[in-house]
Amino acid sequence: MLEILELRKRYGDKTALDGLSFAVRPGEVFGFVGQNGAGKTTTMRIVLGVLAADAGEVRWQGRPMDAAARRRTGYMPEERGLYPKMRVRDQLVYLARLHGLPADRAEASTDALLEQLGIADRGADKVEALSLGNQQRVQLAAALVHEPDLLVLDEPFSGLDPVGVDVLAAALRARVDTGVPVVFSSHQLELVERLCDSVGIIKDGRMVAAGGVDELRSRGGVRRLRVAVDAPAGWADGLPGVRVATGAAPDGAVVLELAPDVDDQAVLDAARRAGRVREFRPVARSLVDLFREAVAA
Amino acid sequence: MSAPAPTRPQAPELSSGAAVRLVARREFVERGRDRSFLVSTAVTLLILLAVTVISQLAGGDDDSYDVGLSGAATAAAPGLQAQAEALDVEIDVRDVSPDEARTLVRDGDLDAALLAPGSAVVKEELEGTLRAVLEQASAALVGEERLRERGLDPAQVRAALDVEPLQIEALDPPDEDADRRQGIAFVGTLLLYGQVFGYGFWVALGVVEEKSSRVVEVLLATVSPRALLTGKILGIGLLGLAQLLALAVVGVTVAVATGAVDLGSEVVTPLALVLGWFLLGYAFYATAFAAAAARVSRQEDLQNVTTPMTLVILGSFFAAIWASSSPDEPLARVLAIVPPFSVLVNPPRTAAGDVAAWEIVLAVALMVGAIVALATFAARLYEGAVLRTGAALSWREAWRGRHR
Repeated sequence: MLEILELRKRYGDKTALDGLSFAVRPGEVFGFVGQNGAGKTTTMRIVLGVLAADAGEVRWQGRPMDAAARRRTGYMPEERGLYPKMRVRDQLVYLARLHGLPADRAEASTDALLEQLGIADRGADKVEALSLGNQQRVQLAAALVHEPDLLVLDEPFSGLDPVGVDVLAAALRARVDTGVPVVFSSHQLELVERLCDSVGIIKDGRMVAAGGVDELRSRGGVRRLRVAVDAPAGWADGLPGVRVATGAAPDGAVVLELAPDVDDQAVLDAARRAGRVREFRPVARSLVDLFREAVAA
Repeated sequence: MSAPAPTRPQAPELSSGAAVRLVARREFVERGRDRSFLVSTAVTLLILLAVTVISQLAGGDDDSYDVGLSGAATAAAPGLQAQAEALDVEIDVRDVSPDEARTLVRDGDLDAALLAPGSAVVKEELEGTLRAVLEQASAALVGEERLRERGLDPAQVRAALDVEPLQIEALDPPDEDADRRQGIAFVGTLLLYGQVFGYGFWVALGVVEEKSSRVVEVLLATVSPRALLTGKILGIGLLGLAQLLALAVVGVTVAVATGAVDLGSEVVTPLALVLGWFLLGYAFYATAFAAAAARVSRQEDLQNVTTPMTLVILGSFFAAIWASSSPDEPLARVLAIVPPFSVLVNPPRTAAGDVAAWEIVLAVALMVGAIVALATFAARLYEGAVLRTGAALSWREAWRGRHR
């Protein structure tokens, strides 16, 4: 388990991290979201030891994270980093060995990853000769090649086409299934929603919401209904405990937010009284909604 | 903790020494097969060969002349040969008719022709050694003729005039090999300057490459800055040493084969000096270059931060050129001992001048001390600066930047 405890970091007058805490369990994918400058990259750099925290602690398997634990961590920095003029395969073998893998295992692991990520035919090319998408695959391979026990990935999917996203996601999932915890940051919230078991929303260096994706969605007990009725707009105004959350969609549907004590069947009755009901279904709050709310709060 | 234990075997610990070896090997291999490295090695080799061969051709320009003799002048042949031998020149003599002589001289087949005692023909002018030889031979012929006219036996007269050459005792004889030793020292200085500067700067480029490509962040998540820096300096330095050895082997082989030098202390001493001082000089400048380069994130900024090192090494180079021709001047003696000037000034002074053993020992000891002192400072500056990207850092920021 990875535990981030009360991290604090200042750059001059600017507070980057203000007592940030969260934990990632084995086999869990933790999505780290927040606006630019919220402190995601700073947190990841501190976990990897390339930046020092002013206060707080990072713990791995119950002990303070040390150099040996970091060597067993796969890291993909926000600013991609590979030797542009080094051959892909040589580079991955080198990085695996720097993380302590013996030569034969480093080579086997490299070849397996190149195969898995669909770039086996590019092993002898220099990194700079690859397309940006393929360079990104190599970058992920660099984070995975030493068979890490923990993965920390800063924006791993940015700039990838949907096929690339699928390939990378599958490679990640394969690691997660062996019990490796993954922390990754992303601006692509629907991707986070799809891939993550739990999510942390960070704002101004503090965690403003964290937990399982489903748990967060249902937090506060607010239910949402999407209702389409052949009736003039405004039919739902004034219903007790009901708020119209959106304007009418092109098909005339509206999204209603129900207070916890409101019976959805009563709302359905009201709708039927207003006109013919074409659609009536609960909608889950998306991560985008959660994010907007959390950031706006 | 209920964490499932990872099923794969744990990787063994990576010692700091193993990390240094891995980094050094990467530097050596990757740079060694870089096309620009191979091209520059080939070019250096060609220049070295050209210098050796040209100096051999220039030095081997022995005086040799073709001289035609006609009529009564043919009797001058033995005298000419004797003179030539005395003056250490080679003269090929052939008998020609006066008309033939003019044609051959005009065409350049003959350097000169003696048409008769007291009368010679040349194309443009008669100069130097050949003039002296021909004058002598001609005068001897004319003189013998006159002796015979007066009834004297030329052989007797010659015997009477035959005296031993002047015996000369030199109080301060010039060193026969001084010029050659200075020449070797000069070539060695040139080579040393190129290697120390070139490979030191390569370290700077490597540091900036890792910063600008951000790969340094990936590397430092697993190895210490010190191991990365040490490995880089070692790897590039070994490549420089290997290149120098290759150049030395080829250069010396060719020089010995063409007879430009003899394989002896004349070659071995300068070679050992260049190799030894390359190691010391490279260690010093590479460390300084690395610390400076860590302050910047872009190659364009590298020039600015490395200027101090560049000036010192350039100053040393000019001092070394001067010292190779004035190796025993007081200033040369001092610069050959004081680091870091000693890197380039000591080898030519030691090769060409009159050096006491203690001077060399002191120079090496001071240099090693300087390297150790510099490495302590440079490592901290490097650690403090290497993860900071953006605008160039001041020395002060770099010094305070270390966080672990």
